[in-house]
Amino acid sequence: MEKIITMMGPMLDGVNVTLQMFFITLVLSLPLGLLLSLARISKYKPLSFLVETYIWLMRGTPLMLQLLFVYYALPLVPYIGIKLPDFSAAILAFVLNYAAYFAEIFRGGIQSIERGQYEASKVLGMTYVQTMRRIVLPQVLKRVVPPISNETITLVKDTSLIYVLAMNDLLRTARTIVQREFDMTPFIIAGAFYLAMTLVLTWGFNKLEERYAAYDE
Amino acid sequence: MKMIRLKNIHKSFNNLEVLKGISLEVAQGEVVAIIGPSGSGKSTLLRCLNRLETLDKGTIEVEGEILAAEGPDGKCQYVSEQKAREICFKMGMVFQQFNLFPHMTVLDNIIEAPMLVKGIKKEVIIPEAEELLKKVGLFEKKNSYPSRLSGGQKQRVAIARALAMKPDIMLFDEPTSALDPELTGEVLKAMRQLALEHMTMIVVTHEMAFAREVAQRVIFMDDGDIVEEGTPEQIFNNPQHVRTQAFLKSML
Ligand SMILES: Nc1ncnc2c1ncn2[C@@H]1O[C@H](COP(=O)(O)OP(=O)(O)OP(=O)(O)O)[C@@H](O)[C@H]1O
Ligand SMILES: [Mg+2]
Repeated sequence: MEKIITMMGPMLDGVNVTLQMFFITLVLSLPLGLLLSLARISKYKPLSFLVETYIWLMRGTPLMLQLLFVYYALPLVPYIGIKLPDFSAAILAFVLNYAAYFAEIFRGGIQSIERGQYEASKVLGMTYVQTMRRIVLPQVLKRVVPPISNETITLVKDTSLIYVLAMNDLLRTARTIVQREFDMTPFIIAGAFYLAMTLVLTWGFNKLEERYAAYDE
Repeated sequence: MKMIRLKNIHKSFNNLEVLKGISLEVAQGEVVAIIGPSGSGKSTLLRCLNRLETLDKGTIEVEGEILAAEGPDGKCQYVSEQKAREICFKMGMVFQQFNLFPHMTVLDNIIEAPMLVKGIKKEVIIPEAEELLKKVGLFEKKNSYPSRLSGGQKQRVAIARALAMKPDIMLFDEPTSALDPELTGEVLKAMRQLALEHMTMIVVTHEMAFAREVAQRVIFMDDGDIVEEGTPEQIFNNPQHVRTQAFLKSML
């Protein structure tokens, strides 16, 4: 018992790192993903092509590679090369990666809105921006809740990848203690934490879906 | 006064010429019914009017203001986006598929555009919207979402929504075609009421009885052209063109 209590200190620090990674990534990558999706469906071809390429790169290479690239290779790039501290590097890589996935989800949602909605808005005199903001995006939000929820739960677990930058997140802390003490408890605690977090998120997203159920389509 | 003036309208999709040089004038307070076989270009004509489709050639004038005109190169040129929007929201449109906003209540559907586009205050527009809902007989549904309404009710909300922008002209594209037969009556009634109030209306319809009773002028379109036009008596009782005759026979 005493052993578990002494473990809890470093484990909680690990939880803190994991939670920060999770929330900062989510808060930054959702709006960025939305912007990217709008650029992706833009009628201005060079822009949509650029974003398409970006999404292909981000989804076509492992997040781990992107993480290593931002941390180790970015500083070597001429002119823009900057050496980021490990936490910032991890956030940057995660946000860039997750924004690409969210962008594709938003794009699917936007394109699933019937043409009649745009036509009705246009005939009523709304501009494109007004139509997106008041008519299209509110309906998109309802439709993307399930896939966003999936992606968010994946993010909880993906945060553990930052161990490659030797950052002491929950999982790496657990492993360090296990190796030092020859005791598996930290793994169980870590697993329980990820499960609890997923449970909370699932509950939250269910609430959101219920709220949107006020109207059916 | 002429509310709408179309001159020599051309429109193609890819290589398919859908409108082959249509000219049409509609006077204030006039109710014009457009009839014709499927694919003849009736919807496209309406959609060109309020720039849901862009013209290839021709001129559109709404209430004396030019929306699109032939440029020096013979191609069609539109006025600025801002100007075009101001001209077009004088025309309300009702679609076959209603196109209500599913995430908004009936009342919100109606007040959204006046508030957003014209900047009308909520406390001013709500009584107006409620008045319109009473007119189409749906006041007690004002807080319902569209998914809870029948087709006929949806279409009446769509009419009220268009009217809330205080249009001078109403365009209807087969407003009853998606409805069960027993629900068309309530929508036609609302339209009849509008005609009695001297709203300028262009109605694409398969409802021959309605066209005969309410329209002052009936236009028969076929294959991208106006084949024949006249009063309901002329068109329905004494059609001149064989294609009109054949079409009317097929509608019986
Ligand atoms: N966006 C489009 N792209 C390509 N072709 C189109 C498009 N819209 C209409 N068409 C074609 O143009 C022709 C005229 O269509 P339109 O919808 O105007 O006919 P309509 O008279 O309204 O017919 P209906 O009675 O079936 O509604 C049809 O052949 C149709 O397939
Ligand atoms: Mg049609």
